[in-house]
Amino acid sequence: MGSRLEKKSTLVRKRIEGHTFSGETGEEYEGSAFGGFTDYFRRKKIKLQNLDASIRASSDKPQIFKGVVCHVNGYTQPSLNDLHNLIVQHGGGFMQYLDGKTMVTHIIAANLTPKKKEEFKRYRIVKPAWIVDSVNAGRLLPWDAYRVIEEGAGQRVLGFDNGQVVSQIGKKSAGYREQTDTSWYTSQLKASQAVAGPSRRVGSATQTVTPTEEIEDDGFPSLTSSMEQAMQGVLPSQTAADAEPDDAEDEERTTLQTPPPSSPPPAAASLLVHHLVERAASPELNNGLETAAGIVDKSGDRTAVQPQEVIPADGPLEEESAKTVLRPREGSQEPDYTMAVIRDSDAVNAIAPEEYAKMTAEEHNAVLLSDPRIRKSTVVHPDFLDQYYRESRLHHLSTWKAELKSQLQALAAEKSATQKPKVKKLPGQRRYILHVDFDSFFAAVSLKKHPQYIDKPAVVAHGGGSGSEIASCNYPARDFGIKNGMWMKRAQELCPDVKILPYDFPGYEEASRKFYDAIMATGGIVQSVSIDEALVDVSDTCIAEGGTDGVKRSEGCQDREQRKADELAQGLRDEVLAKTGCAVSVGIGGNILLAKIALRKAKPAGQYHLKPEDVLDFIGLLEVQSLPGIAWSIGGKLEDIGIKLVKDIRECSRERLINTLGPKTGEKVWEYSRGIDKTEVGDQVIRKSVSAEVNWGVRFENREQVDEFMQGLSAELMKRLIKERVKGKQLTMKVMRRAADAPLDPPKHLGHGKCDTYNKSMQLGVATNDVAVIAKEAIAMMRSFNISPGDLRGIGVQMQKLEPIKAVIEAHHDGSQRRLHFKPGAPAPMAAPPKPVMPPKPDDEIQDDHKTPEHKQIRDINQPSVRFEPAAPVTPSKKPLNIAGTQFILPTQVDPKVLAELPADIRAKLAKHILPSTEGDADNQAVKAQTSRPVSRADLPAVMLPNMSQLDPSILSELPDDVRAELMNLYKSPRKPRAEQAVLPQSPRKTRVLPPISKQPLRRKRGGGSLFGKSRAKGGDNTLTQSNFVARPQAIEVPAHSRDTTPAAVDSAAELDPAFLAALPEDIRAEVLAQQRQSRLQRTGGIDTSLHRHRTRAAKKKDLEIPAVRVIRLPTHPAVPTFTSRKLSALPDLRQAIKAWVEEFSDEGPYDEDTQALVRYLTDVVLVERDLEKAQQVVRWVEWVLGEVEEELEADVKEGWDGALKEVKGGVQEAVRERGLPPLDLR
Amino acid sequence: MAETTFRTLITAFTDFLTVAIHTILWERSIYPKTSFLSARKYNFPVKQNRHPKVCEWINDAVTAVESELLKGRVHSVGVVIFTKDSKPLERFVFDVSRFPDVPVDDLDTLLQSGDADEPQSILPVVEMEEQFRATLSKLTASRTSLGPAPEGCTFTVAIELKPDALAPVSHPQPWIPAQVADDENDGATARHPTAKTTPLRAIKAGEMKFEAWIEEAGSDAADG
Repeated sequence: MGSRLEKKSTLVRKRIEGHTFSGETGEEYEGSAFGGFTDYFRRKKIKLQNLDASIRASSDKPQIFKGVVCHVNGYTQPSLNDLHNLIVQHGGGFMQYLDGKTMVTHIIAANLTPKKKEEFKRYRIVKPAWIVDSVNAGRLLPWDAYRVIEEGAGQRVLGFDNGQVVSQIGKKSAGYREQTDTSWYTSQLKASQAVAGPSRRVGSATQTVTPTEEIEDDGFPSLTSSMEQAMQGVLPSQTAADAEPDDAEDEERTTLQTPPPSSPPPAAASLLVHHLVERAASPELNNGLETAAGIVDKSGDRTAVQPQEVIPADGPLEEESAKTVLRPREGSQEPDYTMAVIRDSDAVNAIAPEEYAKMTAEEHNAVLLSDPRIRKSTVVHPDFLDQYYRESRLHHLSTWKAELKSQLQALAAEKSATQKPKVKKLPGQRRYILHVDFDSFFAAVSLKKHPQYIDKPAVVAHGGGSGSEIASCNYPARDFGIKNGMWMKRAQELCPDVKILPYDFPGYEEASRKFYDAIMATGGIVQSVSIDEALVDVSDTCIAEGGTDGVKRSEGCQDREQRKADELAQGLRDEVLAKTGCAVSVGIGGNILLAKIALRKAKPAGQYHLKPEDVLDFIGLLEVQSLPGIAWSIGGKLEDIGIKLVKDIRECSRERLINTLGPKTGEKVWEYSRGIDKTEVGDQVIRKSVSAEVNWGVRFENREQVDEFMQGLSAELMKRLIKERVKGKQLTMKVMRRAADAPLDPPKHLGHGKCDTYNKSMQLGVATNDVAVIAKEAIAMMRSFNISPGDLRGIGVQMQKLEPIKAVIEAHHDGSQRRLHFKPGAPAPMAAPPKPVMPPKPDDEIQDDHKTPEHKQIRDINQPSVRFEPAAPVTPSKKPLNIAGTQFILPTQVDPKVLAELPADIRAKLAKHILPSTEGDADNQAVKAQTSRPVSRADLPAVMLPNMSQLDPSILSELPDDVRAELMNLYKSPRKPRAEQAVLPQSPRKTRVLPPISKQPLRRKRGGGSLFGKSRAKGGDNTLTQSNFVARPQAIEVPAHSRDTTPAAVDSAAELDPAFLAALPEDIRAEVLAQQRQSRLQRTGGIDTSLHRHRTRAAKKKDLEIPAVRVIRLPTHPAVPTFTSRKLSALPDLRQAIKAWVEEFSDEGPYDEDTQALVRYLTDVVLVERDLEKAQQVVRWVEWVLGEVEEELEADVKEGWDGALKEVKGGVQEAVRERGLPPLDLR
Repeated sequence: MAETTFRTLITAFTDFLTVAIHTILWERSIYPKTSFLSARKYNFPVKQNRHPKVCEWINDAVTAVESELLKGRVHSVGVVIFTKDSKPLERFVFDVSRFPDVPVDDLDTLLQSGDADEPQSILPVVEMEEQFRATLSKLTASRTSLGPAPEGCTFTVAIELKPDALAPVSHPQPWIPAQVADDENDGATARHPTAKTTPLRAIKAGEMKFEAWIEEAGSDAADG
């Protein structure tokens, strides 16, 4: 603001201030002369100032705008006229005509054209709200909070906040919506309608749920305004079925007393596990649950959103920040811990209070978890989820309810199948809906076991501890002011001698079953709301009783119908009372809404028929929040527009409701206020979502635990999806984060305390129920929240956009559609590791460049030795994410030293990825390292390898087993030194067509890392030999002769890849070519001057011509001694010969020379053939054959044969003894 | 096994030797029955001691035998069963004296059959395994002829060197020189009268030629 501006406007201001109106006698009231436009106009302005002066004079308002001169530009709300009046009345000056920009102190405009924005940039352009708000405030507010022209996006401006100078980001100017919503008219309107409550600025209201996501309300009932939010978000096209659950909910609420303002703050149920979550059905379910549990405090509805606090200026105005303020409710479920556990925990006590205060959330959790008792009941405990769902009361009930419901559906289906020809519903037909509900179900059933307390105040709760929560209380207890959901402590204050009853789940179940039996017996259409509550459509029965079609209105028949309905209700009540001993209440109405409302009146233990003629009056007197589905937050909104009672709604136009509450809710509320509810009993509600959520016991120390838990939760979700036989396409995650100002320990032990809730959802593309996919996405989403693990208090995953699974595949989770797995394995985002270097194989020519050149290069360039791959994007894309359990980027190449220092689990993860390169490294290092290594005899063969001693044992031990084995293997085979240098042929026997002599660089420039890569890429053509120091296992497999003969493979390298050549730097290429030429000369000239061991081609050829590479020609076997002239040596032949011999000479005895021949032969067998066994067999054969013929032999012949046998034996034994052996066993 | 080197030949033999030792231990009940696993080798059901120390011992012993075999010094390998009071009871002998004589430098050089006219495989695997199988079968059957071994027997592995071979002296020294025994006398004079030899089998498969037999010291073996 320049001083010129100031000067001019001060002048104007002074003039205006000095302006007085003395009457219509002044000069300005004279007529204008012809052509005296300037005069006319001057006069006009004076007259206008006269008007102002008179207004000012007559005004008794505070002169807050004294010193302000305003001009209004363009359309404003309030209008020019109103603003003028306001300003002038409050002592300001007003200029209708802006002669110059500096004439006024402030220009009021709602919006400026871009040109004017530019022009007026340096002036005080103020929104009309400034005037209005200043008037309201009774003082001149600083104008710059209302500037129209921003300082520029992102420009930080100094602000003044509670006496502190703060720097804030200039908020973005809002568009039309802001103008209309914050407009003066709107607020005027609201002000006039509001019975109570200040106007608020809608645009900046905080809300629990981020609007973009269309969270289904039922999904997260513990969210405060989620219901309402969902309603706003839901498209109008949604079926009327949606309205029904809301009924249910509200119904519930009305039956139970609304807590007086002094009662404990309405709070979020600290834990609501939603087993069945359906867009429509679930509220009812929750409701049912709560009814069952008797939680009066309708947490689902009334969870505290703090009444719409205005976001500080730095929040984006349009975006509703996902902020909910949930207040913990004391004591709820199972693990019946109280704060005392924490108080008594040694681990916690060990920490000094001041230290305690300073700890981060993670540290705090770590301390907390260090107490095993606490740890046991948090998510960190591996069995947490199981236990959680096992013990959770709500979960128990919800599963129960789900079972019941499916039973019921089955029954209904059965029924409708039999009585198919139903009376068709006529439009306008009267309906009779019964809403049947137990009175304080839990308490009533539990009291059956303890009848002595029936007329005493009694509650059902988990235990007598002050922190346990009252699930249900009987009517005497309610008289004391005890409510469901109240803390035991408070209840005991209210009524010191209240009786605490335990849960009696079997009893509840039984009662419920009987209850439903009775209801089924009525023959109407039954819809189960919860275990103790049901809706029955008995229209058919009643109308039949009435005797008309149910449309015509004749007094008599309507009476009869109503009477019938009442009878049915009475019958039902009696029957249930008889069967279960518990009282039920029945509300009868023309639709579900009315039935529910009627039920409130019916309670306790009564029935009420809300007759059509009474409907409007009856409903009209209710508070809006007692309508089903309207609670706290909608109620608050309605209150803002001045609606408190239902009849007020009726005075409000439908459009206005829709504007305020959104199309769906607005419509619904409008209809409800007139008693209209289109929901049908028994409408099949389609499950819209399935979720698993935990917000009790959520305490994490680190991210791994979070990830692990996410896996578990995803598995739970999957189980449920499978159970429901659905797959989902959209995954929504809800995260509760400890509010910044919330204590580390919430009032409820391990509860979530005050939290901010965030939601995020993502499309999965393909419907899935695969736990891996879910977990992956969930973890990714969790990461994207970027919430410190220690601050997590609740996590929920929800699957939406469900599709049924066609076949029933329980075991086979994978669903119906097969998908291609492009990247199997978890760590998909990892770039493919450098080409795995295989452990040296016999055929591998060159080992020295194990280390991929890439690697080397990277190190050379100024980069860390560990190369990082870009991590997987965490954006909700379809890319597979790293679910390896760490968010950290895994380097593909890892320094083993670093690796060794890492914790075992990380190392394990890394090992998966870096294995190939480690291998390569290790190979090299194994060779290079200078540490000696003790080798056990078992591992090591007799021949000690020089290289063996150079193995670095630490490296060796780091290697995976198989690699190590391979490495060791390679050392097992002794090699001759020269072998190490040799270039090994690929196959020694391979005949090879030699390529034409060509360009072969035999030498490569040292250190040309990339060249190595190239040459490797070329295949096995590498001829580099001099640095071939890597030990290889070939020794065994590769035939010895081949080592000495020329490596036939060398020549294959003789080809020089032109591309390779081209890639070389200029100077190297020149060198290579020179080298090549030289070698060609060498070859063609036949002069081998090369120092290399490569043979010339001629030599190679020679080798090829002589295929018999070096062999050891073994001596021919000595001829096997033979028997007789027929050269017998095989045992059967011998036997035959001997048999023939014996038979031949059976009558005269053997000839001595024959015997001698046999003895000689057998001696040879023993000594030369060295086959003791054969000798033994032959001798035995002889003996046996003789035994065969013994009887026929004559004595002398026999003697001769015996002598021969003895001689043979003796000969054999002699031979055996000659070999230094004990005598042969020849018995 | 188209290309057989001396090393492969020896390895094949030592593999068999390992199996044989385990079988002998089983047959002679050196170790409790429960410490043996059933296994299959050469397609023949065999027993393997599963005690790590025993296995290690055997492996070490066989490795030592192998290294001597590779040097071509070994005449025969014996598995000697001793009685409780360290008297030899039986000796399972594998006479490997007819293994080809290959210089130490050429362990990994290919072997070629000497019969130029009918080249035959050096190590016909199938045949060899058949032979091994038969030998093992004989070993298994030897229990009947040998009778039950007395309690508390122990065993050792011995090698007998060729007459001209150098003693395996090295550090560490796997072999302990045997006392000069009556084998030296080369006579049955000192031998117990009931001592006897039970041939097992003469294995002949290509160059895998060795003979196996059992020597029994005699029922009341006073000396070796």
